[in-house]
Amino acid sequence: MSIIEEHEIALTQTTAAQPKMRTSDKLFPIALLTPVLLFFIILNVVPTLWMLGLSFYKFTLMSLDPPKFIGLDNYIRIYNDPSFWHGFGRTFRFMVLAVAFETVLGGAIGFLFWGSANMPGRRVALTMLFAPMIITPVASGLFYRLIYDPTFGVANYLLENVIGYKIDFLTNVRWAFPAVLFVDIWMWTPFMILMTLAALGSVPKAEMEAAEVDRLSWPQRFRYVILPHAKFILMLGILLRTIDAFKTMDLVFLMTNGGPGSITELIAVALYRYAFASLNIGFSSALAVLLLIVAIAFTSVYLYILNLRRSSEAPTG
Amino acid sequence: MSIKKLGSTSLTRRQLLRSAAAAGVGISASGLLAACGGAAAPAGGGSASDAGADAGADNPLAGSNETNMQGKTVALTIGVIAGWPPSQIPIDLAPDFAAWAKEKFGYDVTISKSEAPFAALFQKVAPTLAAKSTEFNMFISDSQWLGALAEPGWIVKADDIYALNPEIDLEPYSDLVRNTYQIYPDGSDNRWGFPQMPDDQGVYLRLDMLEDPEEQAAFEAKYGKPLPTTYEEYENMTMDEFEEVVAHFHRPDEEFYGTAIMQSKEYDFFSCAWHPYAYSTGGAIWDPETQQIWDILNSDNNVKALEEFKRWQQYQGPGSADYGIGDMIDLFTQGKVFSAFQWLAVGLFMIPDELKGKVLAIPHPKFIGPDGNPNIIGAMGGQPWVVNAFNDDDQMRACVDLLKWWYTDETQAKFLERGGLPWSKAAVEAPGFEESTPYARAFKYMLSDGNSQDFWHHPKYAEMLAVQQEAFNGYATGQYTDAKAVLDFIAAKQQAILFDAGTTDIAPPEGYESMQPA
Repeated sequence: MSIIEEHEIALTQTTAAQPKMRTSDKLFPIALLTPVLLFFIILNVVPTLWMLGLSFYKFTLMSLDPPKFIGLDNYIRIYNDPSFWHGFGRTFRFMVLAVAFETVLGGAIGFLFWGSANMPGRRVALTMLFAPMIITPVASGLFYRLIYDPTFGVANYLLENVIGYKIDFLTNVRWAFPAVLFVDIWMWTPFMILMTLAALGSVPKAEMEAAEVDRLSWPQRFRYVILPHAKFILMLGILLRTIDAFKTMDLVFLMTNGGPGSITELIAVALYRYAFASLNIGFSSALAVLLLIVAIAFTSVYLYILNLRRSSEAPTG
Repeated sequence: MSIKKLGSTSLTRRQLLRSAAAAGVGISASGLLAACGGAAAPAGGGSASDAGADAGADNPLAGSNETNMQGKTVALTIGVIAGWPPSQIPIDLAPDFAAWAKEKFGYDVTISKSEAPFAALFQKVAPTLAAKSTEFNMFISDSQWLGALAEPGWIVKADDIYALNPEIDLEPYSDLVRNTYQIYPDGSDNRWGFPQMPDDQGVYLRLDMLEDPEEQAAFEAKYGKPLPTTYEEYENMTMDEFEEVVAHFHRPDEEFYGTAIMQSKEYDFFSCAWHPYAYSTGGAIWDPETQQIWDILNSDNNVKALEEFKRWQQYQGPGSADYGIGDMIDLFTQGKVFSAFQWLAVGLFMIPDELKGKVLAIPHPKFIGPDGNPNIIGAMGGQPWVVNAFNDDDQMRACVDLLKWWYTDETQAKFLERGGLPWSKAAVEAPGFEESTPYARAFKYMLSDGNSQDFWHHPKYAEMLAVQQEAFNGYATGQYTDAKAVLDFIAAKQQAILFDAGTTDIAPPEGYESMQPA
């Protein structure tokens, strides 16, 4: 019997044995998936569908009236109210500016630390750089509220000594938004440093050495060697930050409460107010559904990019 | 095993997700129906409140007697306002209550507190009450919350407890106490709250600066009249006259400012500080009977009042548009301002040891009223106790006992010793009260009928307040510059909120949806 014939017989035996395995094949994955599916259904699917359902109701906790089905009225109200459009616009502006600054700064600092494994004090420097990311947004918000205080704050003390006047960072309509944005950048640039270091770590040394031997300039090395390897992790970082920046609430709430007026009233702050201050459950559910749709859109982009990565890494031929 | 492999064994990912979604829809639909059903059920379903004022033998609303709580142990949780000292005092005195309950009724009671800042306490408590929880057996509510708490039946009607315990139904110093801390709806006789800490508005001044001979000479040289230095001179002073004093002490070059007035977007800070400007000059914020807001809040009188309020920013320090209660205490006690328009209840903190004998507290200065005479109608502060309607019988008895203990002369005396303020006629009119603290006299003056006024106790107060605070703060900070447009915006939005809630037939003006302040 040739080797090929033996192989064929073995294959036939395996195929013949398959029906016996099928029942356990079916049950085993289900058994493995059941806990996580239950978890997913109870904590994710049910609340989401519940919220979706409530968004079609007029329902407030502060009334004896039972929930009343009003169709799309809550959505129409949001559509007709310019303050929500302003809120969305403000949120997008915050998100784009924050992520852009964090990416550029984080990328630049990450590059500076690239290949500095033997640099004395590297760990201490990185630990200090990452510290803002570890502090909770609530604590950061409170710290900066005090730092920015026009009467007692250290920032204004320094400003007055350097430029001779003070700035009402959190109550001035021109300064409040940049002041809050700065804190977000301060908090989350370390995250982009981390992502940049991870991305640069994925660049093969051999290719960098080859680029050096070929005397590629740094822009060329960046474009043809570093970026192709690093872009997926960097994109992941950017997308995670984008989603996170879109739902920023705690920092703003602590620092300005959305003020002065509505200058820093991001959409998540408005949602909080309707849901937990007014207890207007139906309306806030509609607003939350809209936020969810935007978040899903971002997540889709993220999944699309991950799929791109997977297909680009898949063996060809 | 990959999902792909799983698919080959007859259960696809799509099928899995479809099943999950179907299960989710099923569960959520049944849940929603259940929730709807629950919401439709009669509220206030607590066993004790159902009993109403029935004077039956063992009604929990009567509190404990010698036998029905003997040997039992009760744990009570009280919701209090974080950072607001008057609402912490009952917690400090809780061991006294435990001893009192043990001695009088033979049961053990432990009291724990759960706290949150002014704006957040309601948000913390309300969802628990909506779930008919007894997480908070009783709590210190703000006066504006009465409607929101009473309407869904979350709290016990105070009248039911008073009917069974007339000894705690003390005569208040003025109708203001009853109207602010107890009544809902406005104008009715229904009482829901029990006065805990009354409060009203005044101004704290640096008496040591007023008494400085150099300052007096400089003021007289500038204005041709002596600098007022006594309470009597300030009690009937108008805002115009007071402005001269404030302007005299306003020294921005020295980083020392004439005054400080709350304008923060936080909670009701701006609103309460502005209301006297409107009320005292003949304005109103709504008609409580018809719930008309449009054409009342945005009246010409109120436009002038709002402009006048903002004009006072010229005597305040940087960042004044963000001043809240705590900022005012810091500014005043750290010597950054000559005066501060402040709640009189925080006197203990406005006058630390270093400033003892150096501070004069006066009523809010007067405005020229609609009849041309000086007039002041300040805003009311302060809080009532409210009792959870879902308490079980033992908890309810302990809560009622706590109220009985709270209103004893001995406990009230301890409360006042620790910085609390009285509200009963007997206590406010007691000999020596006006001299008991530097702010007691001004407090009593502002607590007199006609000198202060509270605002809406409507269940939609939080939504109305959020609209108002944001727009007012926008005006204070310069985001909006047209006082009329700001008031039009607030009035339209608030009218829409009430109309939408179905508590008024008065519709908001046409096109209110797209209205924006300018």
